[in-house]
Amino acid sequence: MNRRLALLYVVGGGLGLAAAAALTLEKIAKLRDPAYVPTCSLNPVVSCGSVMDSRQAEAFGFPNPLLGIVAFAVVVTTGVAVLAGFEPPRWYRIALNAGTAFGVVFVHWLIAASLYDIHALCPYCLVVWIVTIPIFWYTTLDTWPALAPLRRVHSAVLALWYAVIAILVLAAFWDYWTSLL
Amino acid sequence: MSRKTRAKRNPVTARRGPSLNVILTGVVVLVAIAVIGGVLLVSRSDGAGTASNEAMVPPGAHTLSTVEGGEVTLVEFLDFQCPACASYYAGITKKLEQDYQGRITFVTRNFPLEMHPLAVPAARAAEAAGKQGKYSEMYHALYDNFDSWAVDGRATSADAARATAKFEEFATAAGLDLEEFRADSASAEVQAAIDRDVADGTKLGVNSTPTFFLNGEKFQPGRGTITDVDRELRAKIDAALAG
Repeated sequence: MNRRLALLYVVGGGLGLAAAAALTLEKIAKLRDPAYVPTCSLNPVVSCGSVMDSRQAEAFGFPNPLLGIVAFAVVVTTGVAVLAGFEPPRWYRIALNAGTAFGVVFVHWLIAASLYDIHALCPYCLVVWIVTIPIFWYTTLDTWPALAPLRRVHSAVLALWYAVIAILVLAAFWDYWTSLL
Repeated sequence: MSRKTRAKRNPVTARRGPSLNVILTGVVVLVAIAVIGGVLLVSRSDGAGTASNEAMVPPGAHTLSTVEGGEVTLVEFLDFQCPACASYYAGITKKLEQDYQGRITFVTRNFPLEMHPLAVPAARAAEAAGKQGKYSEMYHALYDNFDSWAVDGRATSADAARATAKFEEFATAAGLDLEEFRADSASAEVQAAIDRDVADGTKLGVNSTPTFFLNGEKFQPGRGTITDVDRELRAKIDAALAG
């Protein structure tokens, strides 16, 4: 595993961890006082409140950010360990790839829920979307030598991925964006 | 990290990769920015309530009064054969057009209703006159002489032959080339302009005529006589001019 991927784990995983922690704290504040308005609920569209209250926010029976805290902690720890000289064995890297694959699928399910079911965006969730995609993508490229041709266009694929999601977000909240202009 | 992985990585990403990758990434980013930016910019001029609204005032829309970069735009969706439009013309817009000439932009759009069989032919005549730069003349002639072609006594007329003869009379009086006027009246281009107006009107929620939009906002007069409506509309225009 290379150093750049390890750095991505530390930085991206750290951001994801921070976002998951913030969401967990907001969730606790909301449980304590149901009338609490999360700090990230700015308007009807940018609203963690409506996202946190949705059924998708507890996909596995408990708040999603708890999953994020656990998973991003593993990512950060792996990054730090690799930077410290740890050379992950094959099984570790495959397992990590499986974990990030689960993460990226879950994130896309949440994106679809956010855009087409909940109709709200939550800034902390956006951070998680943004970091999960490259963590998955670069882990996959790094794990499978057969994907070498794709490494030649690694950031183009990532940019395209982001662009498609950005356009979907734009389209889903069309009226909101145009009202800002 | 081992030397082995570095050796494996460099040939693909560092030596050959970057140029292609960087180019493709740049292309993706630029295209995405262009698409998002372009779409947002277009939608800004398409956004509800602005006078520069494309659906409200498309390029080539007919104006009875124009102010370059003017702040106040009045748009009327009208049907030349609609009695209410004719009353509004006689009681409100004919005078309003003169009184606010050069101070507001006054745009007329076609919204011929199906219940008026001669509304489309009249709209075609107006559009065809517009092709020769005489839209305003035809617009005035059609409403000033409403009784001569649009109605039979008190009923809505369906006498296309009489109407056509009248339209040609108006065209001649306006100094139009009659052959050209006939050809334009029957042209697909003129029909397309009418269709565009109807489509825009439908999109803007027009379902009756006349419907006015002042700076993109639908003017919904209260109950009352034409004089009351006239007063209300002028008050709104004055407020918009002052504001």
